[in-house]
Amino acid sequence: MLSTLTTAQNRFPKPDFESGYQYPDHYYPVPNETLWTAIDILLLAGMMSVVAWAVLKQRTRKPIIWISILSVAYFGFFRSGCVCSIGAIQNVSLALADPGYVMPVSVLLFFILPILFAFLFGRVFCAGVCPLGALQELVNVKNYRLSKALTTVLGMIPWIYLILAILYAVTRSSFIICRFDPFIGIFRLGGDLSFLIFGVLLLIAAIFTGRPFCRFLCPYGALLSLFSRVSVRKPTLTSHSCINCELCHNACPVDAIMPPYGNQVKESRAEGVRRLIKYFIILPVMIVAGAFLMRAASDELSRGHKDVRLYDRVVEQETNPQDILSIDLEAFYGQGGTIEALTEKVEKIQNDFKQYGTVAGALIGLVIGITLIGLSVKRTRKTYDINEANLCKLCPLLQLLSAE
Amino acid sequence: MGEKKENKSNPIARRRFLRICGSVVAVGSILAVTGVLARKGLSTDATHFWQIDPEKCTHCGRCETDCVLPLSAVKCIHASRVCGYCDLCGGFYRSNVKDLNTAAENMMCPTGAITRKFVEDPYFEYTINEDLCNGCGKCVKGCNSFGNGSLYLQVKQDLCTNCNECQIAKVCPADAISRVPYTMAYNLKDE
Repeated sequence: MLSTLTTAQNRFPKPDFESGYQYPDHYYPVPNETLWTAIDILLLAGMMSVVAWAVLKQRTRKPIIWISILSVAYFGFFRSGCVCSIGAIQNVSLALADPGYVMPVSVLLFFILPILFAFLFGRVFCAGVCPLGALQELVNVKNYRLSKALTTVLGMIPWIYLILAILYAVTRSSFIICRFDPFIGIFRLGGDLSFLIFGVLLLIAAIFTGRPFCRFLCPYGALLSLFSRVSVRKPTLTSHSCINCELCHNACPVDAIMPPYGNQVKESRAEGVRRLIKYFIILPVMIVAGAFLMRAASDELSRGHKDVRLYDRVVEQETNPQDILSIDLEAFYGQGGTIEALTEKVEKIQNDFKQYGTVAGALIGLVIGITLIGLSVKRTRKTYDINEANLCKLCPLLQLLSAE
Repeated sequence: MGEKKENKSNPIARRRFLRICGSVVAVGSILAVTGVLARKGLSTDATHFWQIDPEKCTHCGRCETDCVLPLSAVKCIHASRVCGYCDLCGGFYRSNVKDLNTAAENMMCPTGAITRKFVEDPYFEYTINEDLCNGCGKCVKGCNSFGNGSLYLQVKQDLCTNCNECQIAKVCPADAISRVPYTMAYNLKDE
């Protein structure tokens, strides 16, 4: 039975029709994706330019709301959210790691254009061009401020998510960003129920606090923040000098404005040096610990790969043979798979996980270390300032300030 | 006084220096990623389509259940030029049915998507109604086990949303689903 599954051809001869029967013609349409992706790219670049112009030149927010609506309608609902810049991280990292993986040009553009714009003008992509962010923006009503402890802990998640996503992408296991996308079900009006519920919960949270997904989950936002930190043109709070009126800090929905450190005495030089030495000891310890932990967990992590899970089942079948095979085992044996070949494959995957997992662990340690250090760094800021690394999405506040 | 002034201007200079370093690293990494990927060769096809290789497919039924669409984008396709036009069709009738008539309990297709038309003795023409087909592959299994294998599963490209990662490909036990370029968007058996 199993062998017939794959080699079932021409048991019966082609019939000789005497009645002049004509074979029906089938037509299978292929949509013209080239045209649509060209429109996608043009819209992406165009919308980011409009946002940059509105924020930096006009200092107004009105166009951004229209851009958000357009983005949710077009990129979200009409194009059903694929491929997006967030997911493109995985294609790009897989293409960099695996020479055999071919990637369309459009995916590279989706990945690199927002980064380029972030470097030039700040996170204009997040401001309203990204359909996921725009959707949250459009439902946002009230902004309750979260405590600093909470935002710091949650703020590490995007980095860890980014590192894990790249780890699973380069090992060809899974595209976890696409898999756990909470809003794709909303854009497609259907899908996996648990993620739909998660998406709706996030949207409800977005009513009360600014953009929870962007701040505490989005891995692409983490990447963009690296580039916006050194952006060429920076948004400024006010065209005049800051009078420390606190209006901006109170209005900011995403904690992107850093308050001044009032009346703080500058620490002595010796004390500063001692603190610096402490950091230089703590950071490597965190990195090594992260690398060690992830290396130890790499076998568990490798279970995200389909072949590793199959291997477990095959081993179970070999040690304890069952008569009724599961679908996966039936396909495996039906295709003439042997445990030796599979073992070799799985060992390679586990080896990959060990290598990349160690690097990923080191990076996670680095992220946690830097976050902790960032908490204790003493600064001498005297005015309110925008934290470009945070999700400054250049909001109504700008209008308020430029109206003066 | 002079020392204090220097202290004040120092952090600014240092910050500017760090910013310039950061900018150089940023530009460098953007150029490096673009350069490496461009040199490696990108596909000029705008999109790669997901498609099933019928040679590998084991008609396990997961195409029906795992597609992100409410009704799967995978449909059964019929290659007329491969079909034997049999009266006793393994894809049309269930095996071991009592009476060979078109009563619902005898039909292989759970949604009634397969219809047949008498051509001439003893041949019947089989047609698939793709609006009804849910891609379960039951008929494909029957046809491959007892017939010529003219029924097979394909991803209908006009229905597929082209997810970045195909959910069916993730669970396909035979690794039969992969990305194909525009020119090979379908793996047709009768061509």
